[in-house]
Amino acid sequence: MRDVAIIGVGMIPFGRRDEDTLMDLLAWASLKALDDAGLGDKSVDAVYVANMGGGMIQRQTAIASSLVDRLSLLPAAAETIENGPASGASALKNGLLAVASGYYDTVLVVGGEKMREVTGWRATDFVATMTHPQAEYPYGITLPGMAGMFTRLYMEKYGVTREMLLAISLKNQEMGTLNPYAHVEMALDRAGIFDSRDAIVNNPTSADPLHLYDLCPVSDGAAAVVICPLDMAKKLTSKPPVLIAGFGQATDTHTLQEREDPTDLKAVTLAAQQAFERAKMKPSDIHVAELHDAFTILEIAESEHIGFFPKGQGGKAAVEGKTRLGGQLPINLSGGLKARGHPVGATGVAQVVDIVWQLRHELPKTRQVKNAQNGLTINFGGFGNNVLCFILRRVQD
Amino acid sequence: MKKIAITAYKCKQCGKLHYPFHDRCLQCKGREFDKVEPQGNVKLLTFTRIYNLPWGFDQRYLIIGVGEFENGVRAMGQIGVDEATPLQVGMTMIPSWEPVRVQNGENVFGLKLTPIT
Repeated sequence: MRDVAIIGVGMIPFGRRDEDTLMDLLAWASLKALDDAGLGDKSVDAVYVANMGGGMIQRQTAIASSLVDRLSLLPAAAETIENGPASGASALKNGLLAVASGYYDTVLVVGGEKMREVTGWRATDFVATMTHPQAEYPYGITLPGMAGMFTRLYMEKYGVTREMLLAISLKNQEMGTLNPYAHVEMALDRAGIFDSRDAIVNNPTSADPLHLYDLCPVSDGAAAVVICPLDMAKKLTSKPPVLIAGFGQATDTHTLQEREDPTDLKAVTLAAQQAFERAKMKPSDIHVAELHDAFTILEIAESEHIGFFPKGQGGKAAVEGKTRLGGQLPINLSGGLKARGHPVGATGVAQVVDIVWQLRHELPKTRQVKNAQNGLTINFGGFGNNVLCFILRRVQD
Repeated sequence: MKKIAITAYKCKQCGKLHYPFHDRCLQCKGREFDKVEPQGNVKLLTFTRIYNLPWGFDQRYLIIGVGEFENGVRAMGQIGVDEATPLQVGMTMIPSWEPVRVQNGENVFGLKLTPIT
């Protein structure tokens, strides 16, 4: 197997993009990544497109075939990958395996979603189609609802408090104000959403015990990366290549009720373990992480299941500032899904793009982890029933 | 009262109880199962009140929980109380089979849970 490097990345600002089509988003992010890789006027061998909702929301299928045509990448191999909210990381995994195996040299991976085209009512239903079609979906369960039930159990078992969830909301939205690609560029006022009498109006219950500001927004957006064999990377770009040092993927039961301990995110633990093993690293080797905080509880739970903090200590670490810039392990300096937004097919790729910027040391001081060498991502599909982890490493000059 | 139309499956090889159905046992990969009907009342394992509902639900909120029947079958259901009614994990609920949503103008039936008062 060959070592595989990321040589180009690109993202377009996430948010509500009424004037743009899904294909616009995918094409523009792709062009940015191709330009960044020094392939702006060249082709690639293959294209993997991550998208979850094109068929349901835009009534458009075979999106990858359409994208290679629009980008004049013909006759590159092309396919669309759908794996729920983990589609982005799944697409990158497929690209990684294709390059590592030697079948392809240059691969474009792009993830995109346009969810604001429909009402919140419809978007919530679209995301809920991931739940079990007989045992869950008919009841009106939503992903925030699943997270609410999970949070109640996690609070009971590990003593997580609303104060701890608040620490995640405040940190990630503060980081969103510093990220020009973020959907939500508004810092939160603690009193306004937590301490004051107005808090219940400003921050109403969404799926108790979770409130509005515990949830990520529904977003439009796209992100892309270009990968190639490491030994080819330096010939193509002058930027420091970033090695995909390890990846892992694991699945868990479809329904929460069939998990022996529903607070145990087994797929997160297993995916991270595989990635650490392949990268020959351990949690303490990671300098920066992008975790899948679709709900604030998930940043805490994932940080514990990966092994960054002992079980029951992730929330305390967040309150103590250990996951802020300058802390023991900065998490979601992009603002995470909470502030950057969560266009479901784009998220797994966007997380990798943010880590690449960190490892190239290209971010402004307000978001850059000094001398970051190793980064980690977790892309969480369904309610933890399909999880991917990547570990990236800056290649030394 | 309508019969609760949930069927769980007990692996003939190792005894693990499944709901919903799996073609192979999650524990031992056995393929033969005995059908098990849920029995008795339900212990509430977790719940949430959802205020941002999906398309198809024209109401202000829904209360949804996961419970365990007395014979170990676990299932999701709607909890039929108003939002102010205090609920607690571990409380006992009475199960029933009632409309849980309307699709194409017709009722869809499912598990409803009501706290024992």
